[in-house]
Amino acid sequence: MSPDLQETRILNINILRFDPYDSKSVPHIQTFKIKEAYGMTLYIVLNEIREHHDNSLMFDFVCRAGICGSCSMLVNGRPTLACRTLTSKLPQEITLAPLPLFKLIKDLSIYSGEWMRGLNERLETWIHDKEEELNIDKLEQRMEPELADSIYELERCVECGCCVAGCGTIQMRPDFAGAVGLNKIARYHLDPRDKRSDEDYYELVGNEDGVFGCMTLLGCEDVCPKDLPLQSKIAYLRRMMIKTTMA
Amino acid sequence: MKIIYTDVLVIGGGLAGLRVATGVKQRGHDAVVLTLVPPKRSHSAAAQGGMQASLANSKMGEGDNEDVHFSDTIKGSDWGADQEVARMFVHCAPKAIRELTAWGVPWSRVKKGEHGTIINAQKITITEKEQAHGLITARDFGGTKKWRTCYTSDGTGHSMLYAMDNKAHKDKVEIHERLEAMALIHEDGRCYGAVARNLMTGELTAYVSKATTIATGGYGRIYSISTNAIICQGMGQAIALETGVATLGNMEAIQFHPTAIVPVGILTTEGCRGDGGLLLDKDGYRFMPDYEPEKKELASRDVVSRRMTEHIRKGKGVKSRYGDHLWLDITILGREHIDKNLREVKEICENFLGIDPAVDWIPVRPTQHYSMGGIRTTFKGESQTLKGLYSCGEAACWDLHGFNRLGGNSVSETVVAGMLVAEYISDFCDKHESSVNISSSKIEFFVKKERDKLEALLTKEKGEDTYELRRAMEKIMMEKVGIFRNGDDLQEAVHALEELLKRSKNIEVFRSKSRAANPALVNAYRTQRMLKVALSVAYGALLRTESRGAHSREDFPSRDDENWLKRTITSWPNENQTMPSVSYEEIPISNMELPPGWRGYGQDMTKHHHETKMRQKMVDTVKENLEAEGATRFEIQNALMPYLEKLPQKYRNKNERLGEKR
Amino acid sequence: MREKKIDKIPARLDFIQSATGLILALFIMGHILFESSILISKEMMYKVTIMFEGYYFFGETYPGIISFLAAGIFAIFILHAGLALRKFPSSYKQYKIMKNHAAGYKHEDTYLWMVQVVTGFAMFFIGSVHLYIMMTQPSNIGPYMSSSRVVNELMGPLYLVLLFSVVLHAFIGLYRLALKWGFMEGKNTKVSRKRFKLLMKTMIAVYLILGTLSLIKYTYIGLTHDFSDGLKYESETIKMKEHS
Repeated sequence: MSPDLQETRILNINILRFDPYDSKSVPHIQTFKIKEAYGMTLYIVLNEIREHHDNSLMFDFVCRAGICGSCSMLVNGRPTLACRTLTSKLPQEITLAPLPLFKLIKDLSIYSGEWMRGLNERLETWIHDKEEELNIDKLEQRMEPELADSIYELERCVECGCCVAGCGTIQMRPDFAGAVGLNKIARYHLDPRDKRSDEDYYELVGNEDGVFGCMTLLGCEDVCPKDLPLQSKIAYLRRMMIKTTMA
Repeated sequence: MKIIYTDVLVIGGGLAGLRVATGVKQRGHDAVVLTLVPPKRSHSAAAQGGMQASLANSKMGEGDNEDVHFSDTIKGSDWGADQEVARMFVHCAPKAIRELTAWGVPWSRVKKGEHGTIINAQKITITEKEQAHGLITARDFGGTKKWRTCYTSDGTGHSMLYAMDNKAHKDKVEIHERLEAMALIHEDGRCYGAVARNLMTGELTAYVSKATTIATGGYGRIYSISTNAIICQGMGQAIALETGVATLGNMEAIQFHPTAIVPVGILTTEGCRGDGGLLLDKDGYRFMPDYEPEKKELASRDVVSRRMTEHIRKGKGVKSRYGDHLWLDITILGREHIDKNLREVKEICENFLGIDPAVDWIPVRPTQHYSMGGIRTTFKGESQTLKGLYSCGEAACWDLHGFNRLGGNSVSETVVAGMLVAEYISDFCDKHESSVNISSSKIEFFVKKERDKLEALLTKEKGEDTYELRRAMEKIMMEKVGIFRNGDDLQEAVHALEELLKRSKNIEVFRSKSRAANPALVNAYRTQRMLKVALSVAYGALLRTESRGAHSREDFPSRDDENWLKRTITSWPNENQTMPSVSYEEIPISNMELPPGWRGYGQDMTKHHHETKMRQKMVDTVKENLEAEGATRFEIQNALMPYLEKLPQKYRNKNERLGEKR
Repeated sequence: MREKKIDKIPARLDFIQSATGLILALFIMGHILFESSILISKEMMYKVTIMFEGYYFFGETYPGIISFLAAGIFAIFILHAGLALRKFPSSYKQYKIMKNHAAGYKHEDTYLWMVQVVTGFAMFFIGSVHLYIMMTQPSNIGPYMSSSRVVNELMGPLYLVLLFSVVLHAFIGLYRLALKWGFMEGKNTKVSRKRFKLLMKTMIAVYLILGTLSLIKYTYIGLTHDFSDGLKYESETIKMKEHS
């Protein structure tokens, strides 16, 4: 829509607020009225609230360009990256809440880093190889260009946690690895540099907390801001895991 | 008082910081990384386009080597760089990229056979060699003779950072997240760690260490519009400055990236132009060939940014409610190429502009992007004046970039500097002199000082509003310390910033009084520090009465080697000062491998140094003689400016390349 | 890196859950289809019934076959239910979390799963009753006997609930099964998923209509037929010898 034709709305921004470090604080919704502007994103909205309405409002932005995955939150119930959510695509009533499951720091700010680190450690999301043999003066190991592309395709995950928040399974069973974890396993399984065997991967995710815990609700696939092929990769892992047990 | 002891404290969890941490860890030293955000969210992730390393695998990179990379880097820096450092860097870049390959970065690879590509708006076919198939490929970037920028689609920084962080997990590097370094602990010219504030609980902790490394990135956020992440606020530089002992180098050297989208200032990678994208004006006219007939859109960043600004000033910009802009046209590359190699750009266009870059032109204008300046260090990454304090990556002025950085050299610098500095730090920690000799009362003193400052901010009455000061600073920097600078504006800027700094001592945090997670409190103390950084930039720019690289003075348009072939050194010896102290460090011509010359853009207006000719003659003679004797390029280089001995032993070997004898 | 002893049970359980689900779904598709033969005629329904009793194979009917089939299905049903139970919310807390999640998120596929949980739960009882009756009274199938059961034994409401439960559960299950294992997902899963979802909804509609109409027909027969001559249907074309 052309900027001049757009009618200016007054947005009702309802924010779920809570400070767990303040014993007097109770979770409550606070509403701010913000005049919409052309090209306005939730990044702009929240900063405006902090600067002009309430400077104690806590939220996380880092790159503010949809690259780093810091600003995931529930926007009208749906997990998404706030920085790249244009208000023009939302109704006048906008409700913002922190992602569930992760430890709450305050208001919209969550401690997702700790959770993701735990997941990475549990699934050992790094290349398993004997490093002593690495000689960095020599030509690098070759890789088929198409393979490199398909690894990158899965590598694009930004650990924003939207898939976790969108997953009903993990809400009920917090030990479930979630799409973020399963996608990582699919990524390393694809990578010839990682010398782990199918059995090694099976030990990591061949159980109810791993791929067999997935109930294919596809809440992950439908909210992934990076459009990762989660449905397809989890299906692939499932087939691979079954194959491993048949071998 | 909570004290955590470690061997190496690393402040900043981006590429450089993580590489230092894993490096010292491998040498057997403990490391703790303090980071504001989870390391994978660091600004390193936003580097889209690529990492320069002279692998020479691809057809258009054939003939590339350290020498060519070196010469591009020095010319790009407008001879401001430290040439020994640049040599160390270009020598280690191929090693760093190969190491990252083993750690999991899925670099885009060479595919043998014919490929269509676009060069200078022409469709061209390139045939890649059979022997290069499956090796790391490269794309074209501004200011480079060869296609040298290695990449993974346009998520290079992302995949590098993820590989690096995963490696840190593997090595069990301790990461302390959401912790902000508030002050360095130091005594008698020796740094012993930092006081850190937990951004969730507000708790202050003293981290005491043998060596402390600042790898906190740049200070772009002193400008109101910047491509930088919002955490790039120059806090590393500020706490170094506030020691009164450590110094900063070339703070006025600020790079503006030609193509950030309007209005939000999010970057679209140089890869857009590297892959064949064009810059167009309001008439859809491709103007860059008129200004730079040879390199056109792929001139150095500072040059393209200035040309764009000039063109806009001629009235050729596209009018918009957010000011004038130009167009970046990548429609010519085709949807398939954009979907595969410029995917982030596509997402950004869709999400922030609501346009499809395969069909529509992208509104762009030059925007603050990179800080060449930073904590002044030796080639070892150690502060020249505060022992035990190290710095690397964008936070440092190691001086690889001089007055203008080449695209693709920044992520490359982070990992190369990280790997080298890790070795130098480890060497230091291995020695007896590194032992920690500071009393607990002194540590207590530093913690108390920070606590008192925070209390003052929270309890002050009838004080200043942080936001007002902050916005004023950003506006001044934007309007008066931008792409083109002049004495009058800079003078005004310096005065105004000094006023703001004085007022900032009286900041009051209104309403939001929590001692735990409190964004208003954070904004308050950071603004106080940012003002010192901004003042260092503006004052350095005012004093430097020449134009060099990205520092462009309208009143002094020529580069002046006779008077200004030197680095600006900024310090803040007394905390009651309201202006930084500035001195200069000569850049000696006598040992330059590549004596100052003309970069090849526009007219050569350089006022040359009287020693330049002499050195050039000497260099030419040595080259001629050795070439006549059949010396290798390594021998010639070594005769001109030996540097290998400065490198850690394990990084001295030659780099293997296709078709190059070892 | 090395041969390892892995616990194969989770993989087996997952596979068996899917496999039993598939069998049951295919069974039910046939079941309802055959059931609806009543819509064509009583004669047709009778023929279908005796077909399953083995008439066309042996020349006479053996309701024991039905009994045997029902027992088999019952066994698969129990196995499937037992395995699916693992996925059910295991406490009120979990149930509430899931309910709030689905309510807040408004995500169709999550709703569909909730539907499966509710219908699955319902079938624990209704399905068991139905299967048990079929197993124990296999000869009570036929145009009149079935109608009588619907009306006179008040099985109608139960069958209606069972019909809705089983149709929804089966087709949502098949849809989920396809996505779960990557069946015919093609290059673009967004497209294939959309098609599968459309197919699922169409099948649900078709089967619900078919099943409901059949049930109405049985009810109609049950209400209008004079049962004073007994429940046995006398075929116009097939004259069957009495079992000795």
